[in-house]
Amino acid sequence: MTDQSHLPDPSLSDHVLAALDIVVLEWEEEAGEFRLQGAPPEWWGQRFGPAIRCSQDPSQCSPFLQDYLTGIHRVWQGGPGTIEKSGPWTESDQQGGTMTLEARALSLGLRKLVLIERLGSDFENMRSIVQRARERMLAEDLTAKSHHKAETRLIGRLEASERTKDDALALLQQLGLAAMVLDEHGQIAFATDRTLEMLGIAAQEAIGQPWDQVLSFRKEDRRLVQHLLEGSSQTRSGGPLCLEGACSRWIELEIHRDLRHPVRRILILSDRTELHALRQALNEQASFHDLVGKSAAMLRVYQLVRDVAQVDTTVLIEGETGTGKELIARAIHSSSGRRNKPFLAANCAGLTDSILTSQLFGHKRGAFTGAIQDQQGLFEAAEGGTLFLDEIGDIPPQVQTALLRVLQEKEITRLGEAKPRTVNVRVVAATHHNLSEDVLRGSFRADLLYRIRIARVQLPPLRDRPEDIPLLAQSMLEKICAPTGKTVERLHPDTLRVLMSYSWPGNVRELKSAVEFAVISCKGNEICPADLPPEITGATMASSPSVFIPLSNQDEKTRLLTALSDANGNRTEAAKRLGISRATFYRRLVEFDIHAH
Amino acid sequence: MMQKKVCMLGGFAVGKTSLVRRFVTNVFSEHYQTTIGVTVEKKTVTVDHQDVMLMLWDLYGEDEFQHVRESYLRGSSGYILVIDGTRKATLDTARLLQQTVVRTVGPLPFVAIINKSDLRSEWEIDQPVIEQLREQGWPVFFGSAKLGQGVDELFAHLAAMLLSPAPPSRICP
Repeated sequence: MTDQSHLPDPSLSDHVLAALDIVVLEWEEEAGEFRLQGAPPEWWGQRFGPAIRCSQDPSQCSPFLQDYLTGIHRVWQGGPGTIEKSGPWTESDQQGGTMTLEARALSLGLRKLVLIERLGSDFENMRSIVQRARERMLAEDLTAKSHHKAETRLIGRLEASERTKDDALALLQQLGLAAMVLDEHGQIAFATDRTLEMLGIAAQEAIGQPWDQVLSFRKEDRRLVQHLLEGSSQTRSGGPLCLEGACSRWIELEIHRDLRHPVRRILILSDRTELHALRQALNEQASFHDLVGKSAAMLRVYQLVRDVAQVDTTVLIEGETGTGKELIARAIHSSSGRRNKPFLAANCAGLTDSILTSQLFGHKRGAFTGAIQDQQGLFEAAEGGTLFLDEIGDIPPQVQTALLRVLQEKEITRLGEAKPRTVNVRVVAATHHNLSEDVLRGSFRADLLYRIRIARVQLPPLRDRPEDIPLLAQSMLEKICAPTGKTVERLHPDTLRVLMSYSWPGNVRELKSAVEFAVISCKGNEICPADLPPEITGATMASSPSVFIPLSNQDEKTRLLTALSDANGNRTEAAKRLGISRATFYRRLVEFDIHAH
Repeated sequence: MMQKKVCMLGGFAVGKTSLVRRFVTNVFSEHYQTTIGVTVEKKTVTVDHQDVMLMLWDLYGEDEFQHVRESYLRGSSGYILVIDGTRKATLDTARLLQQTVVRTVGPLPFVAIINKSDLRSEWEIDQPVIEQLREQGWPVFFGSAKLGQGVDELFAHLAAMLLSPAPPSRICP
């Protein structure tokens, strides 16, 4: 009995093929064509119609399929089990849609088959995945490109910025500007070569260091700089400040706020060492102890004081009232070897014989009514030091005699005592008189004059050194304002012009008085001509001084000779031209050994 | 009528399908639809009074997901290498594909088109590179499937090359 279940069942094959949704084409060798096996799926009919013999007109069926079927015999020649897929291809259906198909060639025994399937949802899923992956790649490519563009743009900007920075730096270095940048922590972020050169350090010693460790300012200057750094204004400056070190430097500091980073600071350092040295030298020249003035006449006086201070002789200071004779005396004392001993000053004018004698030499108890105890005089009190006798031309004749003795013998005798006392006192005398004329008149002892005039210092009147007036006035202004709290800072140039054109009969004392008056009158921070006393603003330059104080030098002799020559030898006229009295003129001629003829 | 199989080769999204559609149906779509496998289109052109039907095999784009099946190349008469001017990497892909064709089916006439000339300002392929390609024997065209520029000229030139009696040796270096 035959087992029917193992017999071929054509209807089963059809069902299987229909269930698999594939088309089976079998090559018929004898006919030389493909034959469709079983009932094709519905989609096959939609694409290729009811025809079953595809090989008859392959181009009508599908160019792809034709191409594939043309080369299919090569696969079959590969023997049983060889399968080759066509790969997917897309066909249009008759409804205007598309379908994706894939064929595979295989041989089963002697039968040569081509199976064609329509790729379904799995394929669509795969297509969707690939589509998304590619879209993402394109998007990433666009993003990368955008980033690359941005990077290129930024690199370009950076390069341009670097170039600009390099150019600016080169320019800065070329300019030799000493500048540094402080970061938000006050550390040096950048310093020019000039700065490093000025500080005498290498870049690595400065960069990243706190400014106050690199800039070795004095304590008070460091506080000032810190204050300036903390300030809120755009630009601040200070100085001169001393940078201490092996070679100290004086600098002026300008501090700017970095506009890009408000917390950063730009410091510009200007080396003012040379200027400072010059200014200091000028200041030293412009003053001497408490004396102010830098005119040639005053510079000569300063030198004379220095010279006189080196010796221990008696000195006569001549000068008009208010020229600062006591200041000269103090300067001589301070410059001399007696500087650590007393300096006493006595005004000899207007005192009676007994009072002046007692004041200078002291007295014994009971020497006169009211002398209730022993009293030492100024000579004894000034032992080892300097005694300044002002207005010596006014001392009475009896005192002149006693004074002469002191100068000759170095001894004094107290009033009422008989025994002399040795004293070691340097006498510096001063007068606004012309003592030579006093001698001629008989009011002053010639021998005393010669004794006190061993060394002479002649102070020029202020009108002879108008160039000192601005310096004097400014110095006075500062001294006057300091205790009052007034903030008058300067004198207007017009004010200075007025002051310089005034004759100043009262000399420096009068000038000081005028400045005090002006400070009281001044309403702003600058003294205007209107603030000055009316006698100064209304006065014209005095034509001549009442007292002639000659300058003992060759210029003085020349001046006398010129005046004589201009006056054709007429002495009265020459004296008039010089603004001095005829007697003074004669005396000066004798002094300079000038023969009028 | 004479038929010629022409393969469209290139990286993904370079515009192979867009060029074919512009050439065959004069249509362009902004929407990118990736090709999986191959789609065959036909168009007849006339070269020197001779009609020739170009069977345009629009192959999927070459990338890391899909590599061209050599079976698709067999039977080709020529091919077109499509390059996206805005993506330099697609030139490298074109070079590799050209070598694949030579290795698979031997030297065949081909033309190269640098597509997307409507985005010329964004091109990453500059003139020296193009000159270099031409020196290597590549007939290089510029075109835009979007604007229809250079498309007909591209296919006409290849058709003429296909019908040329003696293929110039420099066509396929």
